[in-house]
Amino acid sequence: MAELFVAGLSHKTAPIAVREQLAVEEDKLREILADVHATGALSEVLILSTCNRVEVYGVADVPGEARALAFRRLGQHRGVDLARVEPLLYTKSGAEAVHHCFRVAASLDSMMLGEPQILGQVKDAFGLAQSCQTVGPLLHHLWSQAFAVAKKVRTQTELARHAVSVSYAAVELARKIFSSLNGKAVLLIGTGKMGELAAKHLVDQGAFPIFVANRTWARAQEMARALAGTAVPFDEWPEALGSVDIVITSTGAPEPIVRRAQVERSIQSRRSQPLFFIDIGVPRDVEPGVNELNAVFCYDIDDLRQVVDSNLRERLREAQKAEALVEREVAKFLARAQDHAVVPTIVSLRERLEAIRRGEVEKAYTLLPDADAQTRRAIEAMSQAIVNKILHTPIVTLRERSRGGHGRSWTEMVHELFGLAGRGEEK
Amino acid sequence: MNLILFDLALVVYLLATALALIHLVQRKEAIYRLAALATLAGWVLHTLALVVRGVELGRPPLGTLVEAMSVVGWACVLFTLWAERQYGVKVLGAFVLPLVALSGVSGAWLPPGLGDLAPALKNAWISVHVILAMLGIAAFVLNFAGGVMYLLQERQLKAKRPGALYYRLPSLETLDRMTYRALTLGFPFLTLGLLLGALWARTAWGSVFAFDPLALFSFLAWLVYAATLGGRAVAGWRGRRAAYFAVLGFSALVLTLGAGLLLPGKHGS
Repeated sequence: MAELFVAGLSHKTAPIAVREQLAVEEDKLREILADVHATGALSEVLILSTCNRVEVYGVADVPGEARALAFRRLGQHRGVDLARVEPLLYTKSGAEAVHHCFRVAASLDSMMLGEPQILGQVKDAFGLAQSCQTVGPLLHHLWSQAFAVAKKVRTQTELARHAVSVSYAAVELARKIFSSLNGKAVLLIGTGKMGELAAKHLVDQGAFPIFVANRTWARAQEMARALAGTAVPFDEWPEALGSVDIVITSTGAPEPIVRRAQVERSIQSRRSQPLFFIDIGVPRDVEPGVNELNAVFCYDIDDLRQVVDSNLRERLREAQKAEALVEREVAKFLARAQDHAVVPTIVSLRERLEAIRRGEVEKAYTLLPDADAQTRRAIEAMSQAIVNKILHTPIVTLRERSRGGHGRSWTEMVHELFGLAGRGEEK
Repeated sequence: MNLILFDLALVVYLLATALALIHLVQRKEAIYRLAALATLAGWVLHTLALVVRGVELGRPPLGTLVEAMSVVGWACVLFTLWAERQYGVKVLGAFVLPLVALSGVSGAWLPPGLGDLAPALKNAWISVHVILAMLGIAAFVLNFAGGVMYLLQERQLKAKRPGALYYRLPSLETLDRMTYRALTLGFPFLTLGLLLGALWARTAWGSVFAFDPLALFSFLAWLVYAATLGGRAVAGWRGRRAAYFAVLGFSALVLTLGAGLLLPGKHGS
């Protein structure tokens, strides 16, 4: 009987040296999918290949054999021997495979918990397998459910809510000070890489206008162009302090360039409008005392890292909620699938009894050639009632048992007891 | 009949308070929805209770300080339900509902007769005076809650160690806007309410204050709010200073209540 399985390796089981040799690009993957499917060992197959995992999702009669076949073929591409890969592989089947699939899609198995790329990657893998026609009803059902679960995790937990990069953490902090960044003025002092990145995030969130100050005028102009902002001469930036909302500093200066006294002066004209300093420079560009001023907040690189650490802890907490949600969804999925699995057995059982009934009723009619319409109706009704009453308990029991996870042995028993044709093939 | 309704409303409020606090800790959307539902249910029961009480008494249920406090709680819940939606501040209930529940509980435990109004005060003019003042006070409870939330969030941001509250509280700007809105909502009500009271006092007793501690303290609270409003509108006060004034104003209101309950004066007792 064909069974759902997943076999593969990930950042948790295999070093990058192995993963990079098995990872394949789309065109090659198309070819491999077709080859593996053509062997007939797998009735359905999907391959997920990212830099953190290479996994084969399939439906096969003998998962072990199918797994060897698929990874031998994957290894061929860069000449990796199956024997080298095999010890690193994990295989899960049935309920465990469903669980794994949902966790991967929901980014619970990712190196960085809750990272958003994985969902796009699994959707691509699914699209590719679909276009190669290697996806059948079971994988189709599994993955469409997995996408729905991933969406639920995103909306119902905060797994992916809080920033885990320094530059994005700065943006989030800004949004805890200003509710919206729309129309917030930004001053960028210095043109370090991280400062630029943070400024870009702010621009993406609607911050405007952007001013750029740098000791080298040409560099300031270049950066201003990149951010759709305005370059200001380096010695004029203190004047801008009175009118901007966010200041990002990332210079290579050995001494702080933003002094407490300067900021204090600018506060007069600000009427305690919040001012947020993001100091990414090392050594620091903003005097630490600035943070003590009313309505002024100053975060240096260590402060930002601390926020990131705290966000990571938040993600771990949220991951527990997400895991519970996934468990519930797996249970639901299995219940539906098992309901589905006993349907053919129930149908053939009904057909079998109906055939017996028909035969016996015909026999009765030959013994009662003079039976009038009323008698015939009574015979029909009585025989149908007997069949239905006999079937009622077995059908209910079959459904219940299959939900309890023992569907297969029970369907087999029913097939044997009633001499039904076929073994209720699982799709 | 109406006492059962009040008790029922109180029990539902306590439930809503518990749910709102659980939501503050766990941040589960489902719990927030339950809390919001319980709050609404409590408010509906509370409304019914007030109406039934009014019909039974044949006058608005504003005859004692305890009854007036009940109206403050009622308006408070109404404003909170509105502000939670308007400003997307889902944790507001966790800050306001405990106060509402507390006032309900303490109201239920006060010895009967304490805070009863002088019989001279039971007329329609006075009802209008009371209801306006109570609506104003309800808005100032919101103003106070917003101020406290602002101070908590500001402290978190200054300390740079994001604690549990950092993630739960909204942005400083949102909190400041909400606090300001509550102030502009409550101030006209309180002003009109006090004005009516003063006018009535002058006609009845010939003096605006007439050695009444409750009136004196409420005038003090009014002064604090007037100063905050002026500072906000003219001098551009905002943020921390405005939040401190929200706390100060609320303290004056609590003193007013204490004075009304414990000190002898023209309002009663």
